[in-house]
Amino acid sequence: MNRILAQCGKELNQFRRDRLTVALAFVLPLAVLLIYGYAIRLEAKNIPLSIQDFDNSPLSRTYVERLFATNQFVPAPLLGTVPTAPLDRGIAKATVIIPPDFQRQVTAHKPVTVQALVDGTDVNNARVIQNGLRAATQFFLRSSGLLPPQAQSPIEAQVRLWFNPGRQESLYIVPGIFGVILWVFPSMLAAIALVREKEQGTIVQVYASDLSAMAWLLGKELAYLVVGLGEALVVLTVATILFGLRFRGDPTVFIVGLVIYLGAAVAFGLFIGARTGNQTGAVQGTAIAGFLTALLLSGFIYRIENIPFPLSFLSNVIPARYFIEITRDAFVRGTGWPGVWYAPLAIGAIGAFFFRLATRILHRMQFTD
Amino acid sequence: MSLLRALTQSRLWALILKEIRQILRNRQIIFLLLFPPTIQLLVFGLALNPAVNHLSLGVTDYSRSPDSREFVASLVANDVFEIASFQPSVAELGQEVRTGQISTGLVIPPDFAENLAMGKPVDVQVLIDGVDANTAGIASGYIQQTINRYGQSLRDLPALPVDIAVRFLYNPGLLSSWFFVPGVIGVVLTLTGSLVSSTTVIREKDVGTLEQLLMTPAMGWEILAAKIAPLFVVLMGDVLLASALGRFVFGLPFRGNYFLFLALSGVYIFVCIGIGILLATISRTQQQVVLTSFFFNVPLIQLSGAIAPIESMPPFFRVLSFFDPLRHYVTIARSLILKGTSFAVLWPEVLTLLVFAALFLGVSIRLFRAQLA
Repeated sequence: MNRILAQCGKELNQFRRDRLTVALAFVLPLAVLLIYGYAIRLEAKNIPLSIQDFDNSPLSRTYVERLFATNQFVPAPLLGTVPTAPLDRGIAKATVIIPPDFQRQVTAHKPVTVQALVDGTDVNNARVIQNGLRAATQFFLRSSGLLPPQAQSPIEAQVRLWFNPGRQESLYIVPGIFGVILWVFPSMLAAIALVREKEQGTIVQVYASDLSAMAWLLGKELAYLVVGLGEALVVLTVATILFGLRFRGDPTVFIVGLVIYLGAAVAFGLFIGARTGNQTGAVQGTAIAGFLTALLLSGFIYRIENIPFPLSFLSNVIPARYFIEITRDAFVRGTGWPGVWYAPLAIGAIGAFFFRLATRILHRMQFTD
Repeated sequence: MSLLRALTQSRLWALILKEIRQILRNRQIIFLLLFPPTIQLLVFGLALNPAVNHLSLGVTDYSRSPDSREFVASLVANDVFEIASFQPSVAELGQEVRTGQISTGLVIPPDFAENLAMGKPVDVQVLIDGVDANTAGIASGYIQQTINRYGQSLRDLPALPVDIAVRFLYNPGLLSSWFFVPGVIGVVLTLTGSLVSSTTVIREKDVGTLEQLLMTPAMGWEILAAKIAPLFVVLMGDVLLASALGRFVFGLPFRGNYFLFLALSGVYIFVCIGIGILLATISRTQQQVVLTSFFFNVPLIQLSGAIAPIESMPPFFRVLSFFDPLRHYVTIARSLILKGTSFAVLWPEVLTLLVFAALFLGVSIRLFRAQLA
């Protein structure tokens, strides 16, 4: 035990002396937090919408006014007579075409169809726009008294959004960023530290000493767990201040989960470090394997259920996925242990697996007498 | 012919051949050129999917009538919702939402059937887990529309006085990969291009062969041109690889002029090479290159609109994104691949991209040469 602690102390000393690494360990996570935290918003607001009103009657103008009344859309110029032109140029995301006899047909109680051309490139917002246009049309019918009394639907949905009634996207994105940052950076630092000893040849001393591979790795694990906790503290403090995140309910799941998660991240880094021969490879390995999986297969951006078959299997063994469930619960839902009890277990199992692999690789290299 | 001979006998040509041989011999670079781009394109294209379907729906039906059952059946008819469980009471339903087992809950009141029969309005309660704000928004829109339509269908009405028919242009099937893959082609070029070009430059710095090169009679510009030309060629190979994957794995339509796409991708590659040389100039070792590349690549990618739409960013970041060369390339790629836009419409973006290419390449070459002197 003393040896592990001594190793840990030595490791922390080395870390502290390398200015560049210290800067990267704390500046990069913050940079990522700020950029992701502010720039990832999925739902477009102020969608540019252009109108081609062939009718130009009082009723059609009321309709247009209603479309813009929800503040979801902002007017965009049509540019000429081709309704697809603003979409081609990207200055509008949708064009609504009102037919020439709009008012006449409506007053004659004949059904009219208004055409909407929607830019389907951004699939998510195409759906948002479709919903918005339909809702605005309903609103127009209702507010202009055009709905016959029996058209009022007898069933009314009272929708309540739980946990995040204002639908703030930052409450979804920022807890997810914790999962990405606290996986990528601790593992990268640990991988660099291990590989550096290989590059500088100091690892041979360890092989020759009677310190076991396990004890040596545990020392490193502990040291970078401490560094990771420091990173977590900085990132969480800044996120609390800037994005107004607060613990909802019991924070113990989060605290337990955080320590296990950081431990797993460091173990993953040690594994990559044990596998690769140079620092560039180690950084690239953790960056590609860590960043890509934590970003794309963890449910950070879109629902994890949407990941198709072979990849969905992989997403089950991505620790970030479980940790993001913990953070979203801790900062938004607030259910605590009954909701995510399994997540720390899953992360712990995956972390132990990586640690075991790392010790096996190094154990094989150790001199035996 | 004599021009060709002059070229093949020139010093520049000899240097280019040397560079090409160096690249081909470097396993790491060949690996970097082929493996990460393929994986990134496939994972981005397959894993990122904003679809809102098969949302798990829990039902508490206090009415337990044929009417209420028919109502529930109508909600799950279009695959947006999928019944996950029936719960005896609201408390249990709420607990399921809280523990994340279901994302939507529906509560049907006991007097549902009676009130409907008597023509009285009925309120049903819908609980939606709002943690995923985006999905929750779309889901709540869907459920309200579906319930409305079902309600109206109960009273045989004439058609609605005004209906809106929505047609999706460019991507009528709303395939999410069509949105992401053209953007990710740009992301892949940025990551691979900057990394590969910085690696080839820094290696000579690392090993010290750069000094040897400088001792030869070759001019500074010749050394650099000889470095850039083969990089350009291998990165164009990546463009071909990426567009082949896009075409044959994801079925991208490539509606615009493909040669224009290649030419503009070529312009963007110069931007990436510029970033790579810049990285190699400000770093001393390969490891530093990889770490500092984070500082460039994360904002470059995030502000480009390749992953999250630019329109939804806060105003400050929207303005900032104009200074992101990748943003302009992503716009061009999406326009040419999905929309089939012509050059006449695209030229402002093309011009911006050219300016960026000249700027990045110019600045990085100047810094690099200053460092050599």
